[in-house]
Amino acid sequence: MSDGMNRRRFLKVLGVTGGGATALTGCSTDRVEKLIPYLVPPENEIPGLATYYASTCRECPAGCGLHVRVREGRAVKVEGNPSNPINQGRLCARGQASLQGLYNPDRVRSPMARVPGGGFEPISWDAALTRVAEQLATMPGDQVWFVTGKEAGAFDSLVSDWLAAIGSSNRIVHEPFAYEALRQANRTVFGVDSIPHYDFAAARHLVSFGADFLETWLSPVEQSLGFSSGHSYQSGEMGRYVHIEPRMSMTAMSADEWIAPVPGTEGLLALAMAHVIVRDQPAGVPADASRISSLLAEHTPAAVSARTGVAADVIERLAREFTQHASLAVAGGIGAQHAAADSTAAAVNLLNYVAGNLGRTVTFHTAQSPAGQGSYSGTVELVEAMRSGRVGALFIHGANPVHTSPTGLGLTPALANVGLKVSFARFYDETAMEADLVLPDHDPLEQWNDFEPRPGVHALQQPVMRPVFDTRQTGDVLLSVARQLGERVTRTLAANDYKEYVVGRWQALQRRLGDSRPFEAFWSESLQRGGIWVDEPTRQARLAATAGSVRGEVWSAPAGDQLTLIAYPSPAFFDGRGANRPWLQELPDPVTKVTWSSWIEINPATARRLGIAEGEFIEVTSEHGSVTVPAYLYPGIREDTVAIPIGQGHAAFGRYAENRGANVYHLLAANATGFGAVEHYVGVTLRNTKDHERIAKTEGNSRQMGRGIAQATTLQALANPEEHQEEHGDHAAPVPDHIEEIIDEWQEDQYHEWMQRGNYAREDLPRWAMAVDLSKCTGCSACVTACYAENNIPTVGPDLIRRGREMSWIRIERYFEDGAHGEIESRFLPMICQHCTNAPCEPVCPVFAAYHTPDGLNAQVYNRCVGTRYCSNNCPYKVRYFNWFDHQNEADAAYAWPDPLHWLLNPDVTVRVKGVMEKCTFCVQRIRDKQHQAKLSGDLLVDGDVVPACQQTCPADAIVFGDINDPDSRISQHARDSRGYHVLDGLNTRPAVTYLKKVRNIAEGEA
Amino acid sequence: MATIVQPLQETLPTYNEVTRDVAATLGRPKKGYYVLLGVVLFVLAFGAGALLYQIRMGLGVAGYAPPVLWGVYITTFVFWVGIAHSGTLISAILYLFRSTWRTSVYRTAEAMTVFAVMTAGLFPLIHVGRIWYAYWLFPYPNQRQLWVNFKSPLVWDVFAVSTYFTVSTAFLIVGLIPDLAAIRDVSTGWRKKLYRITALSWQGTDQQWRHYTRAYLYLAALATPLVLSVHSVVSWDFAMSIVPGWHATIFAPYFVAGAIYSGVAMVVTLLVPLRKIFKVERYITTRHFDNLAKLLLLTGLIVGYAYGVEYFMAWYSGNQFERASFWNRAFGEYWWATWTMILCNGVLPIFLFFKKIRRSIPALFVLSLFVNLGMWFERFVIIVVSLSFEYEPYAMGHYTPTWVEWAILLGSFAWFFMWFLLFAKNFPTVSITEVKEITPMPRKRPVQA
Amino acid sequence: MKKKRYPSGVVGAFSQVDAACDAIKEIKQQGYEDYIVYTPVPNVEVAAAVGHKVSPVRRWTLAGGLVGVTTGFAMTLWMSYDYPLVVGGKPLGSVVPYVVIAFELTILFGALATLLAVAYYAWKTFQHGPHEPRFTNDTIGIFVPCPVEGRQAVQDLLLSSGAEEVRVEEV
Repeated sequence: MSDGMNRRRFLKVLGVTGGGATALTGCSTDRVEKLIPYLVPPENEIPGLATYYASTCRECPAGCGLHVRVREGRAVKVEGNPSNPINQGRLCARGQASLQGLYNPDRVRSPMARVPGGGFEPISWDAALTRVAEQLATMPGDQVWFVTGKEAGAFDSLVSDWLAAIGSSNRIVHEPFAYEALRQANRTVFGVDSIPHYDFAAARHLVSFGADFLETWLSPVEQSLGFSSGHSYQSGEMGRYVHIEPRMSMTAMSADEWIAPVPGTEGLLALAMAHVIVRDQPAGVPADASRISSLLAEHTPAAVSARTGVAADVIERLAREFTQHASLAVAGGIGAQHAAADSTAAAVNLLNYVAGNLGRTVTFHTAQSPAGQGSYSGTVELVEAMRSGRVGALFIHGANPVHTSPTGLGLTPALANVGLKVSFARFYDETAMEADLVLPDHDPLEQWNDFEPRPGVHALQQPVMRPVFDTRQTGDVLLSVARQLGERVTRTLAANDYKEYVVGRWQALQRRLGDSRPFEAFWSESLQRGGIWVDEPTRQARLAATAGSVRGEVWSAPAGDQLTLIAYPSPAFFDGRGANRPWLQELPDPVTKVTWSSWIEINPATARRLGIAEGEFIEVTSEHGSVTVPAYLYPGIREDTVAIPIGQGHAAFGRYAENRGANVYHLLAANATGFGAVEHYVGVTLRNTKDHERIAKTEGNSRQMGRGIAQATTLQALANPEEHQEEHGDHAAPVPDHIEEIIDEWQEDQYHEWMQRGNYAREDLPRWAMAVDLSKCTGCSACVTACYAENNIPTVGPDLIRRGREMSWIRIERYFEDGAHGEIESRFLPMICQHCTNAPCEPVCPVFAAYHTPDGLNAQVYNRCVGTRYCSNNCPYKVRYFNWFDHQNEADAAYAWPDPLHWLLNPDVTVRVKGVMEKCTFCVQRIRDKQHQAKLSGDLLVDGDVVPACQQTCPADAIVFGDINDPDSRISQHARDSRGYHVLDGLNTRPAVTYLKKVRNIAEGEA
Repeated sequence: MATIVQPLQETLPTYNEVTRDVAATLGRPKKGYYVLLGVVLFVLAFGAGALLYQIRMGLGVAGYAPPVLWGVYITTFVFWVGIAHSGTLISAILYLFRSTWRTSVYRTAEAMTVFAVMTAGLFPLIHVGRIWYAYWLFPYPNQRQLWVNFKSPLVWDVFAVSTYFTVSTAFLIVGLIPDLAAIRDVSTGWRKKLYRITALSWQGTDQQWRHYTRAYLYLAALATPLVLSVHSVVSWDFAMSIVPGWHATIFAPYFVAGAIYSGVAMVVTLLVPLRKIFKVERYITTRHFDNLAKLLLLTGLIVGYAYGVEYFMAWYSGNQFERASFWNRAFGEYWWATWTMILCNGVLPIFLFFKKIRRSIPALFVLSLFVNLGMWFERFVIIVVSLSFEYEPYAMGHYTPTWVEWAILLGSFAWFFMWFLLFAKNFPTVSITEVKEITPMPRKRPVQA
Repeated sequence: MKKKRYPSGVVGAFSQVDAACDAIKEIKQQGYEDYIVYTPVPNVEVAAAVGHKVSPVRRWTLAGGLVGVTTGFAMTLWMSYDYPLVVGGKPLGSVVPYVVIAFELTILFGALATLLAVAYYAWKTFQHGPHEPRFTNDTIGIFVPCPVEGRQAVQDLLLSSGAEEVRVEEV
């Protein structure tokens, strides 16, 4: 099907070709010969019915399982694969946005060759491959270098095999966050070059030394699930979580206690805690802990307190708490990104060890964990080689080193010395722009592949639809190049195409697993399930001989008036690879609520001292370079520290990413740290350029003025309420009975009418309701992106957001509260349409565009809406969104889905026109779909059948949806919860959304 | 039913003089008139252009910034509806009160009413997101069998404003008929033709007067409650909602007083130049302005009092949202708008206690301009400032109008003055009949006491 | 000279209002009924002298108002149940808000009925007569249709009661 084909035309064809069989086959993935759909075989594909394919998310190295919803041969939505042990059906915002990688309008649409004058011109695949083969034939094998991102599976081994076959061993893995420090520390302390598996669910007491395990670190979705089940308030109990980091990250906002030590001294705290534990010898301390008592000796709480700025008694307390329950300490994220980070991680390893967590909450597999290969030193080595002319041909796949390496490294100039630069990039990123040939790879949703995120999890990728553009899977490209290079190479590379190569590995895997079934059965079952999961043997880690060499090294803070700059991975863009997804650009940063830009976080006190106001452009200068970014005043960061997120500041990478914000790598040191990583800490000076621009943030007021919007309590208060002062919003007056009667009577009539029309399969009408557990919500905003994807919400861009015109039906409100001891406390509240029983928005609509359905939904009829906007004025929750421009009109400047982005529009949901009001519908299309299915199959809807997009994706399992008329449903139980409250209850709107108060587990001594 | 009262003029004109003087105002216009008309039409075209641009691009070209979803357009709608009110007050209510000083000014006021309503009526259309579907607000039979929501104050508006337009137009025309006949009988040429048609062959026979006077009385009697209801209904657009700063029972009387206040100010603004240009000082005297000023003073004091009550109730209710909202009005980012409004509408009218100022035409003129400004800002403060500071702190916003809104606002003034200019030159702006009515006819023997 | 549409008679022009009133009284005593009085403005004394009954316009106004209020309530209530949608948990037919509609329609229909009424009666009771421009300016005119033989009496009567000018209107 041509690229220019748009959905409307496509559906016309569909209508004409009755049932659309031809159109469908034209659109289904017939080039890939065998597809095993998850629910329905493709030959039975019925227009209007979705088909689901299991695959694997490749947006980050975590490798979550996917179910891709395909309608009429188009992938329209990705959801987590429930059977996948890693994400158990959930996805993060980046995973939800993977569709915008598939349909990105700035994808490389065909192979391209650089023209001498600069720029690219299309080239045929054959020509391209011949050119590569010829050039390779002319050079010795060891002149060939290959850069990949983190790969763990078929492609990984293929690249290695391929390189070996042509006689090269120059394989570089460029992964900006490769956990070098962690692996170094594991080598030192346990003699294992691997990343253990951290069991967040089992940890009742969790201490994170800078690890942003809910955002980007290791496997965020898996860890969010574990964290929410291990930490959240359940039946009178909850875990305790202390976060130690100079900056309050999104992860830290979920902590019960946030401790901000001097930047880079987290390791000392870990050692001091270990010191106290070894000193007091509570139960559970392993016998050989004494081996390290000597190195712990000097790190007394008092001594450490002096260097970290954390009170000694606090350290004592942390240590005591740490051994009281099953505990876990993790080091990572910002904490593991400076020169002494390996020492920090090692200290945390020791802490875990002395607390006896090894084998309990920290488990090493026998097999080497693929998580975190490669290191920045590899990239440095590559640059050396290029400079000295030892690189004849450079192949780059799945990595963007030009953007994600410090500018000082001189990667770009060095590339000039390379004869043949081949990029397999899907987008014109900064590295691809330097290449001679761009041979676009399939999108992960178009390719065959497998991936092993951690030992025992063998995940499969299968094409869910025919490729959108004239791209080709890199595996196939390598194989055909090999064929052209002749027998010398193909000897060791038997496979004819890449899929065959993958299948070969799986046959081997089946043999290894001793599965006796015919391979077809094994293969199809694995495809349907999305892979195969087995338990890998674990090993008991012991202290290595080198463990004693651990020293409490800290990052040397800059002298004079310099501030410590921390560059941290953005939760939305990771290392920047998400920056060309409009959904992610429009997604408010969970901490700052800023969109479409980058910023520098400055403590208000520091800002006052330097005379800086929010929105003023600050020239940030380090000894390695300087960038200019707008200032954001953030109370959650130390006065001696500033922070800039990584991921923006692209020079290329498509219309959505180009020239937004600043690239922090300009500021960072080029030389690798001792353990071979980029140092993400640097001393900077700030200069106020006095240029000013209103920051495009979605937040109006960060304080809730005592209105009890996002309420919180403490575990202690819940335990004995009479002793503690409860926090309250304003409360509702009793509801007149006549309203109840009216609605009931009316429901009766309506229900009869509906029964005649046969829309409902249930005896009685449900009343849909939702509950959000704020003690689980981590503010990760995955639900926001899921809502964009499900409900065809347009992205509007920074200028409109400055006027508060974002269309996001669900917004994560982030409020700051001043804690009892002057500390800053933050709360998240996902605000959606509350579907009020007495909805103030309804009666004011002159044309009944807003009305109440008999099953309790606050409906909005787009076709009837005239656009008086009275409903939104009268909505106390401000959850109605108006179409100021024609986002659905291709001719209009505000068009939100440039071809082929509109392919991801959900066919079940209207795309709204200019001048109408829209809002959360509780995913009414899903409700009706389930009801109709139930009607067809003649059985009743059961609790949990209907799952809105936000609940479906929530990595913290904070959202519950269901029929509140059914007393046994989960939602009813939640609605009855003692923590339950309604926002702005006093207005007597009687919302259908119940929020469960956030619960903090405060330390003893606090109040 | 002319009742003999102490005359407003020093020397009473004869019937003939009245006819002559008023007919003189309809003479061939001078150059200045055409220049003025040209300017007005140009500005109107500019505003219309802005409106077309907005319809093409979408409402986004206006400055709306959620949560402020009503802005300059609704502000201006309320402003013009308000202007309309004093006209009906002077023509209908004062008529029922038999206050004879109205006779020479009511025609201008009434024309102003009709044109102001015509202007106001445009703004709900300009304001809605899909102007091409605005007719959906009327309960017309349609194949989809949809009806409108009569619980919505906006539908009340539709009925109130369209009724108001119909009745006030009828009232104006009925009042015009005898005058047109009088003009007809003294004019010549194409004008004579025009007035022969428009006068509906009025002759002033005993039978005609018999029905006419009754009808006029009942129209006045109907217009009186109507004028009070219309602005009450407009005020309920706000009072019926739950927005802090809108949801107040005082709104109806408060708005009606405000409406008459702004309307009378506009009458003064119009009459001062008009009497000069048309040389009708003999009929519209300082005593008339004195009375108008007294009206201004009364309504101004009511408005000022209402401001006070609003703040008092916000405090006295103990409702944190109301308190916050009003604190924000006075000291928030829109403080300047609030204080402009309080100064113009609350403080300035105090000066009207001084007879000197009431009888100084220039002073009154300047004051009336300030009152117009202040009353526009009153609506701006009530609408925009309240919306920008509602219940949900996270969703609070800041609204600044764009050039499109200013252009359309200007255009609305042009639209109003275009109609007024056309009217003033073609129809008697001073009522011939009613001015004669209060001047006694000559008698052969004096009235016996 | 085209045919006039009224009988021949006598026209008197008065500048003094009380003179005109005397004349009218006299004419009535003489038994004339279909005479016409032209006045530039509605004048109470003249009206009293002529002594018409109160105009029936008021009945139309009342009827219009009543029709309006019923229409108002009937329409709102019927439409609410014909297109039954619950909004904000309020009764389908909520009479209180409908009072506004009913009220406005009362006024509207009342006013329109009044207009119709005045148009209707003015047309029904219209008599053609020798109207002169000055009658809408500053002169009261009285036209008494009478047979030739009665003209002299009427002329004398009008003059004696103070007419400035009396002339015979020939057909």
